[in-house]
Amino acid sequence: MMDIALYSLVDDMVSKSGTEGVVEYWLRVGESYAERMGKEAYVGWPAFNVAMKEGRTSLTVEGAVNVLTDLAITDKDGDVIGYVYALKTCPVAPTMSRFIKKIGPIHDSDNDVAENYNSRIRDSAVSNYCITHQKFREVAANNITVSKQGLECLHLANKGRLGDVKMVKENLDRINVDERHIKSILRSASCVFALIVKGKSAGDEED
Amino acid sequence: MSEDIESNPFVDVSVFLFFEDIADKQGVEGFTNYMVSQAESLAMSVPEEEYDTWEDFANAVVAGESVFSSFENIKQISKYGFVTEECPFSKAISEYIKRLGTMNSVHDEAKDHYNHTIQPSAAHSGCMMHQTYRQEVAKRIKIGGKPLNYAQIASKAYAGNVVTPPESWKKVLLEKAGISETQGFMEMRENACLFALYMDE
Repeated sequence: MMDIALYSLVDDMVSKSGTEGVVEYWLRVGESYAERMGKEAYVGWPAFNVAMKEGRTSLTVEGAVNVLTDLAITDKDGDVIGYVYALKTCPVAPTMSRFIKKIGPIHDSDNDVAENYNSRIRDSAVSNYCITHQKFREVAANNITVSKQGLECLHLANKGRLGDVKMVKENLDRINVDERHIKSILRSASCVFALIVKGKSAGDEED
Repeated sequence: MSEDIESNPFVDVSVFLFFEDIADKQGVEGFTNYMVSQAESLAMSVPEEEYDTWEDFANAVVAGESVFSSFENIKQISKYGFVTEECPFSKAISEYIKRLGTMNSVHDEAKDHYNHTIQPSAAHSGCMMHQTYRQEVAKRIKIGGKPLNYAQIASKAYAGNVVTPPESWKKVLLEKAGISETQGFMEMRENACLFALYMDE
């Protein structure tokens, strides 16, 4: 029942705090959720990727993730600096289905809040919940080290309930992955993101 | 079964954190008001229902076909007495504890605020939402043309403590439900919530 509260709560809050206020609340929730999960350290990428597959990292509390080891991101010398991951099912999808079944159509406020975020912060939300979810990932990634190097999460793409897709082009460019490839991954996933060594980009010179 | 589509606990936990953030900004009173008013909005969104007889209504509730049982599995223990076996917030609470540690004390503070200012029936902050939803959704149900009434008798928190109304109310409510106090305690060993649903005579 707690998750169902999300939609009536957001609707109620939009009327009291406005869409911008709700965006700010969701950003703080994503941040505090990730901060309270604590820090993690892995000896190398294989150990980290096994933990991702087995759902043992703070990032995988959101659900099962496909670890796309064929999409290693490398620097100029061919050293791996990160990987691409695909979340199989959006965490809010079951809640949306149950809300529609038990209560009725999703309120317009869901889209209004997402649009406020898309126009002011980053054009990457397909529902209001993406705001907290994407923030959670970004902060949680900052709390993880692989081979003693801090991580950074790059949100790449996600797909809404009705099939609408958002792509973050600057992040795709940074890891040098073709958007058509990411679209093909989205056929069987709801969200695609990359985890890379903080501050690095594909093709970078080694430090 | 009412909850046939499983929620993702990631979402459940983040909604708890959302309420905690409201409490940070607007205090315990703001937390309580938001939780109560969103439950009212939720209840206002569900379709109205009408039943010919009490038996038709009770059967629909137990089968999970009524809006009253959208979020919980309800058993009928007497004509007007009903129990919920598992609190619909229990999974979210246990996931919160598993992932983040002890619940933020603001949940207890908000529950106490509700018990002092609205009615003394909540065992946890989630009860404020749940009981308000039940109260409001009952207003949308008619049986033989008469409105449904709801009264909470006992609630059990995840730590095991049972909250019951003051003695004077409890006696009246148990009579309304058609069960003794001993029967009520027996029911609370196995269930999370005991309440009466009835119509005005």
